[in-house]
Amino acid sequence: MTENGHSANGRVNGDVWVVIPVFNEAQVLQSVVESALTVFPNVVCVDDGSRDGSVEAVLRTRAHLVRHPVNLGQGAALQTGLSYARAQPGAEYFVTFDADGQHRLEDAQKMLDMARSPDVDLVLGTRFAEHAATVPLAKRLILRTAVLLSPAGRKLRLTDAHNGLRVLTRPVVEDLHITMNGMAHASEIVSYLGRSSWRVREVPVSIRYTDYSRSKGQSLLNGVNILFDLSVRHRGG
Amino acid sequence: MLIQFLLVLAVLTILFVFVRSSNAVYVQASKRVGLVLFAVANVYAVMRPDDLSAIAKLVGVGRGTDLVLYALVVAFMAGMFSFYQRFRVVDRRYTELARTVALREAELVNAERGLQPAPAVVVVAAEHGQIDHAETARP
Repeated sequence: MTENGHSANGRVNGDVWVVIPVFNEAQVLQSVVESALTVFPNVVCVDDGSRDGSVEAVLRTRAHLVRHPVNLGQGAALQTGLSYARAQPGAEYFVTFDADGQHRLEDAQKMLDMARSPDVDLVLGTRFAEHAATVPLAKRLILRTAVLLSPAGRKLRLTDAHNGLRVLTRPVVEDLHITMNGMAHASEIVSYLGRSSWRVREVPVSIRYTDYSRSKGQSLLNGVNILFDLSVRHRGG
Repeated sequence: MLIQFLLVLAVLTILFVFVRSSNAVYVQASKRVGLVLFAVANVYAVMRPDDLSAIAKLVGVGRGTDLVLYALVVAFMAGMFSFYQRFRVVDRRYTELARTVALREAELVNAERGLQPAPAVVVVAAEHGQIDHAETARP
């Protein structure tokens, strides 16, 4: 009864933790979490100080809940979720997943299957391999530029540095520490990968650009903030 | 003019120190030395305005006050960067503190809700709101 049709290799996903950073997503959160729970039994939602009933939505499900006492940012929420999941017994694989329902569970499962092979440490979703046409043009240009500007992205030949869907194996999670609390965490992860020797794979995924996820998506102007955060280092107190 | 060269050089040095430099002790020490030098120079400029004007002419600025203004702009920029970095350090500590609190509370809350990290066997049970602890022990 543990087989659910999504796990292609016949394994159960008891060693998998799905980490969902949540900030004011009450509208869609419960259905996103519940569908995730049908494929992955272990889900942790990190509430980043929501004020719209997102917490209650999580409490109605069987997902674990971690609540930031104050709003810290998506990067911080991701790190908190990974820290929480890492401490749970038997956790070996960690899936990062957006709360707005833009990611497909089939893609997550596909990436997980790849992460389970012994010569892969980390799998990133990319929007540009097969389904590029579904990404709005302006967004496509900006995201492409973001990859080209990052030396690590070029080194790893990544096509999409800012996809929220990732599968990390335990050794990576134990080594990684996200310090960029805001949106710059995606670039931070890529530059971390560029410096490390982890074996990274990209898997084509498609994104559901619904009106809801579009309205929640980060403004392209935010790219300026990200570049600034990344370039000024916090050293020398 | 010499002053243009000096100002551009100062700005570039500041940018380099804050963006690229990786030696924390060196950066911190140079910030403090810079602060002391700036204070001494200010006292000197107030005490001997004629000397200041002479220096200003030497580097190609009309008046001593203009020279002080230029120096102020550069010092302000360095100060802003310094505060920004300081803020990031504090922000990081604050994040760690909040995270620790969140994780500790989460352990209690989720245990109270009867959630166990579990192998997939539990999915079926969980749908009925029941978790069999014997089955969750080990995959």
